[in-house]
Amino acid sequence: MAMKPRFVAALAVAAAVVLAAAIVRAQTPGQEPEPKAAPPGTYAQNAVQTCLRECHNKEPFTLVLQTPHAVKGDERTPFAQHQCETCHGPSPEHIAQTDKPVTIVFKGKHASPAADRNAKCLSCHQSGLRQHWSGSQHESRGVACNDCHQIHAADQKVLRKATQAEVCFACHKEQRAQTRRISTHPLAITSLANTAKMACSDCHNPHGSTGPRLLVKNSVNETCFTCHAEKRGPFLWEHAPVSDDCTSCHTPHGSSNAPLLKARPPWLCQECHSGDHGAQINSGANLAGGNVTTVNGQQAPGAATPRVQTSARACLNCHVLVHGSNHPAGAKFQR
Amino acid sequence: MKPPIARSALAVVIVAAMAVPAHAQTRQASTAEVGPGGVSDDSYKAGEYNGLQNSGAYGIGNVDLRGGDAAYNNEATRRWRVIGNDLGLDTRSVFAEVGNQGKFRLSGGYDELRRNRSDTFQTPYVGAGTNMLTLPGSWINPLVAGVSGTNTAGMVVSARGLVPSIGAAPYINSVATSPTFGAMLTPTTAQIALVNGAAAADNPLFHPYDLYTRRQTVSAAFTYNFDQQWALDGSFRPQHKDGAKPMGTVSRNTGGDISTPIPDLIDQNHTQTNVNLNFKNDRAFAQASYYGSYFRNNVPSMSWQNWASPAGTLNTMSSVPGNDFSQINATAGMSVSAATKLVANGSYGRATQNDAFLTDPTTPVVPVNSLNGLVVTTAFNTKLTSKPTKKVSLSAGYRFDDRNNQTAVHVFQYADAGEAPVANVNFPAGPANPFGPVVAQNANANRPYSRKLNQVTAEADYAAAPHQWLKAAYAFDRIDRWCNGSWIDCADASVTNESTLRGEWRTAVAASVTARVDYAYAARRAPDYNENAFLALVPYANVVPATATGGMTAYSFMIANGWNGWGPAAGYSATTGNLNLFFPSNNALANTLYANNNRISELPGMRRYYVADRNRNTLRSLLTWQAGEALSLQGGLDVDHDDYPTSVYGLQHARTWALNLDAGYAIAEDFTADVFYNFEDGRSNTASNSYTANSNAAAIAGAQAAAIGLSGNSCDTYTTLQQRNNNNKLDPCLPWSANMTDVVNTVGVALRRKIDRLDLNGHLIYSHSRWDNAVAGGNWQNNLLVGPGAAPTTTAAFFIAAEPVPTVWTDTGEVRVTGTYALTPAQGLRVSYAYTRMRSNDLVYEGMQTGSLSAAAPTSEQPFNYSVNAFGFSYVLTF
Repeated sequence: MAMKPRFVAALAVAAAVVLAAAIVRAQTPGQEPEPKAAPPGTYAQNAVQTCLRECHNKEPFTLVLQTPHAVKGDERTPFAQHQCETCHGPSPEHIAQTDKPVTIVFKGKHASPAADRNAKCLSCHQSGLRQHWSGSQHESRGVACNDCHQIHAADQKVLRKATQAEVCFACHKEQRAQTRRISTHPLAITSLANTAKMACSDCHNPHGSTGPRLLVKNSVNETCFTCHAEKRGPFLWEHAPVSDDCTSCHTPHGSSNAPLLKARPPWLCQECHSGDHGAQINSGANLAGGNVTTVNGQQAPGAATPRVQTSARACLNCHVLVHGSNHPAGAKFQR
Repeated sequence: MKPPIARSALAVVIVAAMAVPAHAQTRQASTAEVGPGGVSDDSYKAGEYNGLQNSGAYGIGNVDLRGGDAAYNNEATRRWRVIGNDLGLDTRSVFAEVGNQGKFRLSGGYDELRRNRSDTFQTPYVGAGTNMLTLPGSWINPLVAGVSGTNTAGMVVSARGLVPSIGAAPYINSVATSPTFGAMLTPTTAQIALVNGAAAADNPLFHPYDLYTRRQTVSAAFTYNFDQQWALDGSFRPQHKDGAKPMGTVSRNTGGDISTPIPDLIDQNHTQTNVNLNFKNDRAFAQASYYGSYFRNNVPSMSWQNWASPAGTLNTMSSVPGNDFSQINATAGMSVSAATKLVANGSYGRATQNDAFLTDPTTPVVPVNSLNGLVVTTAFNTKLTSKPTKKVSLSAGYRFDDRNNQTAVHVFQYADAGEAPVANVNFPAGPANPFGPVVAQNANANRPYSRKLNQVTAEADYAAAPHQWLKAAYAFDRIDRWCNGSWIDCADASVTNESTLRGEWRTAVAASVTARVDYAYAARRAPDYNENAFLALVPYANVVPATATGGMTAYSFMIANGWNGWGPAAGYSATTGNLNLFFPSNNALANTLYANNNRISELPGMRRYYVADRNRNTLRSLLTWQAGEALSLQGGLDVDHDDYPTSVYGLQHARTWALNLDAGYAIAEDFTADVFYNFEDGRSNTASNSYTANSNAAAIAGAQAAAIGLSGNSCDTYTTLQQRNNNNKLDPCLPWSANMTDVVNTVGVALRRKIDRLDLNGHLIYSHSRWDNAVAGGNWQNNLLVGPGAAPTTTAAFFIAAEPVPTVWTDTGEVRVTGTYALTPAQGLRVSYAYTRMRSNDLVYEGMQTGSLSAAAPTSEQPFNYSVNAFGFSYVLTF
């Protein structure tokens, strides 16, 4: 018996609806029946479907699907294992009763202890840059991985040069202000494209390091030489504080005294040198128009001149190679 | 033929299937932004690092392209990304990566960084942008009117003569044997003509030369995962830097050194390479790596003509030498137990440098052609951490870092720039002279500095109560410093020991309130500070001079008398024998007796601050309060106080305190405001003594004995010039101090608002810094107007009290607003605007102006002052 046309049409429409629903469901967390409460410590069968439902089916939660953590084909990733529960822990109680928190809570008033949160991340990310995390400055002060890292974000601010400093400045306020001084490294965003040319991680490894103050290399100098290799030497004539520690004279986050100096010459140099003209006083009286040029008004302008050590580039008018000289006649850093 | 209804039904199915899109939440969005931008004014400082230094139009180009089929619900792993920023500017960067996640990753990039240094620099030299700078043929040495050595009207070479009103001003006759000595003379017509002629010839020759450096970096990197345990990664990063930066140089003119600022040519290559082999499993990890850094300077030297010598003689100075550094590292870590971890790291590196030395007639003794320099760096670091109970965490660590400079020591002899070498008669050839005769003014031995750190640390953290932790930590640092091969210990402090005690309290008393207070006290001591370490530079201090008796050397005579290079604490007396040879008139060790052109001994009690005894107090505090759903507050106070208790001279103390206040308020769901304020106050105090040599001179010029009085010296009891001269070394008027303060206020406001399709972001940041230096003390200046016939009561010398240095201040402001309007979910228009402003005043620029300094050529550089508007209008596509 031939089917009636209207019935066929209705059947086709129904099939289309079902097909459409199936297509959509295949690509989105679909509606699943409410799971029954599972025993504690039990992982959900399909956490993506379970978690990213009406409760968490919006940004920023779903943004994790765009990240490397959600690449199921990479067997190391959370989504190749227990998906959401790989990081948040098996949470059948939360699934059954959503006002109960998950096993590991990363944010909010029910946040788990930093050590517990970190243990989850370190279960995969122990090595590489995190080799020296245990006992490091941030770890010992209770900083959690997600204090800096955003997992449910298509792009992590801390992993982009343009926005990394903003994350660090959430705690390191002094350094934020210092990047606004007249002499700085290019950390602050000054481009209309909102890009910076340096990031804090160019010098520091916030996860821990072998060097002082979380520097990426074994020492201050080794870190500085990664960009300033021309200062490494060795030189024939070395300047002792330079080979000792660049921060003897420089303050790398920003300074009122170019170039990134703790104090300005000649007074910076006079903090160590008192030989020959190094001991001579330099004050406003030595400057053009100062008392020394006039000696109580009794000297004509053409007769005297301000001390060259107090003016222009001060000691570096002549002793320019302060980081070291390789000239046989360069012991005074002049050649 | 199919029934129409069936066809329609099929069409409905097809349409229905096509109408359901792939879920947007799993697909990574790409963006591209293009458009024009403009800058209102030229300013090197405003565009210091951002490529916006020139007024006019520029292109906006930013891309962030992502792709790959990897997703949460398939087995694909391919991901790729291309990022481009500032493509229309000199600060452009491009980065691309592709890989199968979990298996391999390849990446590469290109980055440009331009650092603008000065757009107000001027120079008369031809050849700026090369390493050979010559003066135009029409250059005439600038002159001021003066008196020649033969008591006739003459000219003195001086850069101040570039301003004719200074060059042709009345001048003081400073020739002691002249009958008009001390008189103010008016230049003759001929003198004035010479001044004017030189100024008219030279001033037009100064032309602008913009100084900037540019760095171009290419990078390539790979990662390959053999399996879940083993991985190999590496990177290769060649970099090129070119441009020019301002640099002072020294030459010599009759009467002393002169300085010539020149544009120093930069043309350098630096390549870094890194390879790591990694292993990890559930309990352990390990890494072996190699790091290489190879630096080459394509500019071996800089040469320039002397602007003040009659023939424009050529001077040459060295540029930085090329060097190589190779380092291998090994790191391993393991979980000893569930609660205990151990990590250890070791590295071995070698830095070498062997560029050929530059030599010229001023360097008569150069025992080797190149340094053959070698520095071996060895480091070891280990840390044991344990959490034996839920409340207690412990850690202990040891760090060793050794920079062993194994470069050989040699003695070089040279004259200063522009001088002809002159033999030192105190050190002729002979059996008592193992180094050979001194044939130039300076005989110096190089000092290859080495440094070794041993550090132990221990830390205990205790959860004293729920959400409260107490920490105690101790660290001990011992640093050894030395020079391999120097005849005497070169280190001012061969050993420094520093102990640090730290206590910390932190709390998260509620989810909304966290606080931390951290205090540390560190005491560093240098048990054997050696004020004679400078002698390592001058090995002839250990050679018997020709006229010494009893086989004494400068060094042995000092040791025999218990003196350092400053010598006896005594005024003038007629000295004889070895005392007169080494410390004539009780003055400091005579520098010719250690074969050096300058006196390099330091004041007794001078301590170089980086190794001096130091007490350090450090306080860190932070309070964070989430005052409500919408309001968060944060405040912090940091204090650092360094005190140098045994430093009579040098840095005395340094203190900095900083206050930080932050507030964030969510005005509405799509409207947030953040405000911050930072105050920083840094102070330091340095002491020294501008003593000079004792003498018995009773008058300024031997023939003019009339004027003997002093003026302005309430700090000492001397009433005559002779009294003062007898005690130049001990004059209580001559100690001085510099008291520097650096105060910076910074305030910022940021607003973010979303109105419908419009996304607005804006911020305002203002920073005001002020640097002051209140110098206390003073110095003597002889009265140059004392001449024959001067009254007996004429003041011979004036005590010029120090004056505060003019305040250096900088005001910086920046307003930035960006608005993005979404035409559609995929397309938007963006308007960006930035206003940046700086006002500054810095005393250093006074000395760079024409007519300011006699012995330094001017550059006319100006302090940074700018007001610049920049805007951008761009189309943003998201796909």
